[in-house]
Amino acid sequence: MRRRSSLPATFLVPTLAILLVLSMVPTLYAIVIALQNRELSTPGYSWVWFSNFADLFTDRRFLNAVWVSVKWEIVTVVATMVVAIGLGVLMFEVASSRMRNVYCLLFIIPVLLPRVSAAFVWKFAYHPLYGIATYPYRLITGGLIFDPLSKPGTALFAVASVDVWQWGLFFAVIVLKLLETLPPQPIEAARLDHAKRWQIHAYVTLPMLKAPLISLMFVKMIESLRSFDLIYVMTRGGPGVATETLDMYAFSQGFIESGKVSYASAMAVLMMIATVITFTMLWKRVQA
Amino acid sequence: MKQYRMRPGRLIAKAVLALAGFLAVFPLVWTALNALKNNVDIITRVPKVIFTPTLANIGYILGRDSVLTGLYNSIVACGSAVLIGIVLGLPAAYAVARYPNRFAGDIQFFVLSLRFLPPVAVAIPLMVIWLQVGLYDTLPALIVTYSLLTISVIMWLAIPAFQGVPKEIEEAAFVDGYGAYSVFWRIALPVAARSLIGAIAFSFVLVWNEFLIALMLSSSNAKTLPIVASELSQQGMNVPWGILNASVVLLSLPPLLFLGILSGFLNSVFRQKNN
Repeated sequence: MRRRSSLPATFLVPTLAILLVLSMVPTLYAIVIALQNRELSTPGYSWVWFSNFADLFTDRRFLNAVWVSVKWEIVTVVATMVVAIGLGVLMFEVASSRMRNVYCLLFIIPVLLPRVSAAFVWKFAYHPLYGIATYPYRLITGGLIFDPLSKPGTALFAVASVDVWQWGLFFAVIVLKLLETLPPQPIEAARLDHAKRWQIHAYVTLPMLKAPLISLMFVKMIESLRSFDLIYVMTRGGPGVATETLDMYAFSQGFIESGKVSYASAMAVLMMIATVITFTMLWKRVQA
Repeated sequence: MKQYRMRPGRLIAKAVLALAGFLAVFPLVWTALNALKNNVDIITRVPKVIFTPTLANIGYILGRDSVLTGLYNSIVACGSAVLIGIVLGLPAAYAVARYPNRFAGDIQFFVLSLRFLPPVAVAIPLMVIWLQVGLYDTLPALIVTYSLLTISVIMWLAIPAFQGVPKEIEEAAFVDGYGAYSVFWRIALPVAARSLIGAIAFSFVLVWNEFLIALMLSSSNAKTLPIVASELSQQGMNVPWGILNASVVLLSLPPLLFLGILSGFLNSVFRQKNN
């Protein structure tokens, strides 16, 4: 009876058609713009084919942005997973079920905040003179000034800490829920063998959760690509170009500094190709 | 058990957790407190916990035309995009969940892969397109763009929700003479409602928090609340800290209203996995 219904066609076709149009039109148009020399200030344009791409590879600021983006991905993904697994295991070990519920609720709050809000909250907190996060340093050193957001060495980590604040705590909740789904027998068996607490997790529970933890890391890798809001509000890519990721550089080339829309689009197209290829390959591997 | 309680490792673990819980909410609480302070109480080298509260900042924020327009734009743009996401996303998800065909895996991957697209890569061409058709800086342009987000997210999350509906209930309805469409309307939708509401709330939070696309697609009329809030910080050297904090609080409230629904949604996802 189900087989002969017209339902799948009527429910699927319009939605998929709209999704295809909404995603393919901008994607293809991004490539078209990247092959031209459009600028915001002048209406005319001509085809320059691959010269935007050729320029990119000799643009030192672009190469810096690639490096900053790679650093950002590694720092945020690794730190998020470490925080998530650490806190998840701690909750599983020492928190009563009532406290688990309280922590779960608290740990979800940061990730719900708009990134603009999270960025502002921490921008105040990191203020060298009046910030609440820099206050302990002022107190201990007797009023010395520490300005994490304007030092090239610390700025990226200061912004990344906000990302980890949002995602690490949220993923800790998920790690806890994953641990709760495990059958108790292997843990009991390890305990009978006098395994220490940390050994149980290192050798029994976490290896059992390998697949979902890898999926979780995959999600974080995708979400880490959306760093723009945090960086735009907190540092604008500064100091200098220390926190200028690819999307920040594309935005400033296209809109703030020169209005070179085509140049920015070429950058965006490269990003798109790199991420689509990487994540498609990773996804196929995760699924296999 | 008593032996465990005495161990210092356990105490340290509890202290670390308590510290993490504190760090999760304290920055936000502090921001809310600052929103109630006069500027002199904020600009102090030693943070002030005791102060005379003022409603001036919140009053200023709620009295600004730009903030009210931003609030209106955010509500209309996000509300419409979520509605479109519901109307188009839920039926499609149901079709994938209940009428498996050989493309089901590819469809799911396609919907997920939309999330791989860097927002800049979508925003730049869309800006040029909307400029050319004369819809740049309007709400319809923003709604259409956000619909891509809401449809794909609602669809992605609703597929497992529909798969969680026991097949037997639907089979029984078929036997009772229900058609395929009325099974969807009268059985699948109500039974899966709780998870579906979670998925919808999630998509709302996602577009409410969206920043980059809104920044690129609006210049004056269609600015959403996050854009307006970010602009308040650029008013010269004299940063109005209290006002800024109040705007952060206003911007953060709507997503936090969904805290209960979303944590319930999370629980139901893992309960399904357990069974």
